[in-house]
Amino acid sequence: MERAFTPLECLLPAAALRACADGGANHLYDITEGSQESFLPDYISGDFDSIQPEVKEYYKVKGCELIETMDQDLTDFTKCLQILQKKIEKKGLQIDVIVALGGLGGRFDQTMASVETLFHATNITPSPVIVIQECSLIYLLQPGKHKLHVDTGLEGPWCGLIPIGSPCESVTTTGLRWNLTNQVLKFGTLVSTSNTYDDSGIVTIETDKPLLWTMAIKS
Amino acid sequence: MERAFTPLECLLPAGNLKFCLLILNQPLNKGHFHCLWNRAALRACADGGANHLYDITEGSQESFLPDYISGDFDSIQPEVKEYYKVKGCELIETMDQDLTDFTKCLQILQKKIEKKGLQIDVIVALGGLGGRFDQTMASVETLFHATNITPSPVIVIQECSLIYLLQPGKHKLHVDTGLEGPWCGLIPIGSPCESVTTTGLRWNLTNQVLKFGTLVSTSNTYDDSGIVTIETDKPLLWTMAIKS
Repeated sequence: MERAFTPLECLLPAAALRACADGGANHLYDITEGSQESFLPDYISGDFDSIQPEVKEYYKVKGCELIETMDQDLTDFTKCLQILQKKIEKKGLQIDVIVALGGLGGRFDQTMASVETLFHATNITPSPVIVIQECSLIYLLQPGKHKLHVDTGLEGPWCGLIPIGSPCESVTTTGLRWNLTNQVLKFGTLVSTSNTYDDSGIVTIETDKPLLWTMAIKS
Repeated sequence: MERAFTPLECLLPAGNLKFCLLILNQPLNKGHFHCLWNRAALRACADGGANHLYDITEGSQESFLPDYISGDFDSIQPEVKEYYKVKGCELIETMDQDLTDFTKCLQILQKKIEKKGLQIDVIVALGGLGGRFDQTMASVETLFHATNITPSPVIVIQECSLIYLLQPGKHKLHVDTGLEGPWCGLIPIGSPCESVTTTGLRWNLTNQVLKFGTLVSTSNTYDDSGIVTIETDKPLLWTMAIKS
């Protein structure tokens, strides 16, 4: 059974639900300066140790739901995803993908925490979850076969396959400049970075273990 | 046998630390650069790292010449390459496509360290943790290869983050330079660690499994001891904040 997916399709249409994970609300507030009212999230969740008090107050007054989540073993991102899935089910929405903006820059430990959330996401939601920041996208491929459509025109020049978490004993691909055939991918042995595409517009990946797909977004 | 190390010692203005500096293809932090350049025993650029060196030393490039620039030269700008060539910097072309510019630069560095008979305490790579996600992962991959390339510890620094790969065994990290920022973490990046034990952290581990999908230590911090000890059965990536 092959999972088909177009990673960058989400950069085209509108969002069904919008949320902020804790300090994400600060960035939303800043980037919508002058017209915050037109950009209200459905909810803001987290332990609220990052959100600025005035930002929290603003969105509270505007009627955004504030959900405090105190579990210290899970990151704000993971908890936000759990809440999102509950709302998706409650509203009976058909969701093709969940897009997280941010999470790949700045603090290295937070980048790794974003990857950790992708591992947990499999048990939280059936929808694919992607993380996007600046020119990078990451998406965790579960064991099995995958078909990625990379012909939106928004694909940048590089891509990669990262065996984060554990070695993959057997990875096979098509559609890449440097394909793999039953190859071991493992830190210290081989990690696929600075790869790119052939002209087919499709990349297929078969993996025996979870494998992180990463790609460039055209700037 | 315990390996003792002070990750941020290279950023202290005084001291006798002997280190080499590698500049990778990422925007350079001026503060780190100026702190490290003068006291480095050897200085090198990996391919496009030379562009960043050239930019950050605008107006006085002549005072900041690397000992060598290596790579497949697909990132370095032609005028930058020409400038350093004319100034007498060694340009070493490395065509191996299976290894990254960073890994190849490290191999050359080790050869030069041995040739000159230098005693080196640490190798510091600037850049490599920002921008392209695949390049960040390539930097981590180089740290895995580094064990077979050089006996010196290799650290990668960019902006407020540092990473350092802990080999299986016991480690003692001194985190009392005063330059330590508020967070740290332990990342089982290449494979699960079956047993990790720490002291000196806010949230310590005792024979804990660290594994993506189970537990990864991020947003951790320090107790007041100024020392962190880590015992691990598999390679484990240490990461910490540098005070800005």
